[in-house]
Amino acid sequence: MSSALEELVVLDLTTAFWSSVGSALLGDFGARVIRVENLPEARGEDANTDEPKVSWDYEAELAQRNKRSLALDLEQESGRAVLRELIRKADVFVTDWDFGRLEEHRLDYTSLSALKPSLIYAHGSGFGPKGPDRDLPALDELAAARTGMMPILPQPDQPPVYAGAGGMYTAVMLAFGVSLALHHREETGEGQEVDVSLFAANMYGASLDVQAFLAMGGERFLHPVARLDAGNPMSGVLYPSKDGLWLCLTMPDTDRWWPGLAEITGIDSDDPRFNSHDKRCEENRLELIQVLEEAFGQHPASHWKAVFTERQLSADVIEDFNYPANDEQARRNRYILELDRPGVGRIKTLGFPIYMSESPAQLDRMAPCLGQHSSAILHDVLGYSEDRIAELEADGIIA
Amino acid sequence: MANALEGIRVIDLTVWFQGPVAAQHLADFGAEVIKVERPQGGDQGRGVRSIKALPVGDWNQYFLVINRNKKSLALDLKKPAGREIMYRLVEKSDVFLSNLGIPLLESWELGYEKLREINPRLVYATNTGYGRLGGVHKPSFDMTVQALTGLMARLGEPGQPPIYLGMGSGDAYGGLMSALGIMLALHHRRRTGKGQMVDASLYGAQLFLTAPTLQAFLATGNEKYSKQQSRREAENPLWNLYRARDKWLFLCVPNEDASWSRLCQSFDPQERAQDPRFDSVAKRRQNARELVGLIEQAIGRQDAAEWMKRWKSLGIVASPVENLEDLGQDPQAWENDYFLETYCEEVQRQVKVRGLPVGLSKTPGVVKTLGPQLGQDTELILADTLGFSWDQIGEFKAQGAIP
Repeated sequence: MSSALEELVVLDLTTAFWSSVGSALLGDFGARVIRVENLPEARGEDANTDEPKVSWDYEAELAQRNKRSLALDLEQESGRAVLRELIRKADVFVTDWDFGRLEEHRLDYTSLSALKPSLIYAHGSGFGPKGPDRDLPALDELAAARTGMMPILPQPDQPPVYAGAGGMYTAVMLAFGVSLALHHREETGEGQEVDVSLFAANMYGASLDVQAFLAMGGERFLHPVARLDAGNPMSGVLYPSKDGLWLCLTMPDTDRWWPGLAEITGIDSDDPRFNSHDKRCEENRLELIQVLEEAFGQHPASHWKAVFTERQLSADVIEDFNYPANDEQARRNRYILELDRPGVGRIKTLGFPIYMSESPAQLDRMAPCLGQHSSAILHDVLGYSEDRIAELEADGIIA
Repeated sequence: MANALEGIRVIDLTVWFQGPVAAQHLADFGAEVIKVERPQGGDQGRGVRSIKALPVGDWNQYFLVINRNKKSLALDLKKPAGREIMYRLVEKSDVFLSNLGIPLLESWELGYEKLREINPRLVYATNTGYGRLGGVHKPSFDMTVQALTGLMARLGEPGQPPIYLGMGSGDAYGGLMSALGIMLALHHRRRTGKGQMVDASLYGAQLFLTAPTLQAFLATGNEKYSKQQSRREAENPLWNLYRARDKWLFLCVPNEDASWSRLCQSFDPQERAQDPRFDSVAKRRQNARELVGLIEQAIGRQDAAEWMKRWKSLGIVASPVENLEDLGQDPQAWENDYFLETYCEEVQRQVKVRGLPVGLSKTPGVVKTLGPQLGQDTELILADTLGFSWDQIGEFKAQGAIP
């Protein structure tokens, strides 16, 4: 089986989960990703963490899969010299280091493109390369707080909600940006800078509300809407079932869905209060919400799930993680993988969100240990002799 | 300035949000995207105003933004002549993208096998609801699929209704994923000369979206990842949401002695970092509820701006929790082209739109036009791109294949 990014060499100098996932996506589709781990930092991490130790690093299992690890001391000039040699052999460089640090280490775009003009240099930041806040830390929490959505996600008078989705959004933007730049490079031979940010990702993740506000403005977008005051009782509203599990409906074009919904909830579809879209969504909107609230409360979620499925209605039960963890559909489509992890046993881990018939994503290697491939990479990619590698090791430049 | 996707032609047979936004990402970077729509009414997204599915301004921002930089071809695919035109277009295109149901596409003879026969180099991309395999074909809208991922159920304070990430949140992610899949397939084609089938489903994308917590749950089975957690019991009370006198703040301080001590200095009156209830990493974790209460009280005494000033000088990381009005005026959004102004024909003035979340230094994205009028490019595409004669075009009209 061939892969989409075969022979592409990616140097991955990332420290955060989200940015590491971005380069892992390239590895999933066949790129040779070399994860460069800065030795002093990688060693410090273990000492500092306040998380209890687990035997198996499940975050790395996703974020570092399909990568090889090179542990290199980038605080020393001879370590940076090795990295510069690797840059000359690489197609793509991915990093989430902040701008100041990259410049100090002469790993900024200007320095690296001088070594290799065709390099694609992908950078993930908190708030983008320009503007007064370009140097703020790349934390999704900070970006989400600035995006305007946190106050309006919950019910009125509740604390703001942090959804934690910006990082994964940024990861895909990063891989997408790299793939665009590769396309251009294949046509022209020209490399360039790619930049993505957690801030932009959060905005795109909330695109409809953000765009609606940009177009219309108005107070209505600044405060949460109470569940029982929704604009369309059949779309985007949550109702509790008898056993306390929640249901949600997405039936924006209510004319299409009303007969089916009315039937399963025991409402006469010709009920003169609700027999047109305008009546359902304007005149008698609040009344319909109350009627539906009461109807859904009559039966447990399992009843509703069966009925929604049988009638092919656009509605479902709001499940918790046990659902995807045990869902055959998620397994069949490789969205969730189940496999044997040596030393750990049977594990479940997130799989691949993109299906490709001819060049499918593959799990070629599990997350590497720190420096697992250092000598192999130096030998295979840079042609270093065994003696030279031993010297670097003795000097603490690699591990 | 050059475009990254110069010379790539995309057939965009999509409706609503996920499919259109996938093609929008490609169009922003210079692909020629031809949106194929039914002659009566076109994409349902054109009609959101009338169904009151979401707020719409005096211009249809829902449709016009995600269909920007595209052409529109009105085509009746139920008619054989409509399909004949489509097949010609498939011959001359690089990508076919649709978020219509697979059975519907098959019934119009637009399935993968058929189109691959016409153009073996074609990238055939779909956005299913739940994946190509496994046989689940129920209706799939953003929220009903988000509901299945477990993402909604774990958000919000305990006892509150689950939290939806906002209209189009899952579609937007699925759309971006689809755009990435298409790019990967184009790379594969360059090397092998072969097209293929690509799918990015709403379910698959949204499971990935929740990776940071879902991955933890898959590994541990621990309910703290799957159930609502109160901010009053945050594992690290220093990394939490607090309400200042005027607005909420997101405090992002690692649970370390040094940072705890700095935070204490900022309080008024100063707290004692040596308070025996909180003087170690473990104790701050054990006595979290108490510590949240203490910090809450302290922060509630001043306005957010005052805290930001104090914390900045102490190197403490935090942000006010802004609303959409703040965001609309945020220079950071405008300076990075995350927001742009562009001309809108519908209201004949400049309007504000979501800009370009992915920056490319030499081939940046660009917003040239907002979404097209239904069928505005039909005749030109038939004549220039597909090489039909004016007589043939007249015949297609007579047959009702095009308006």
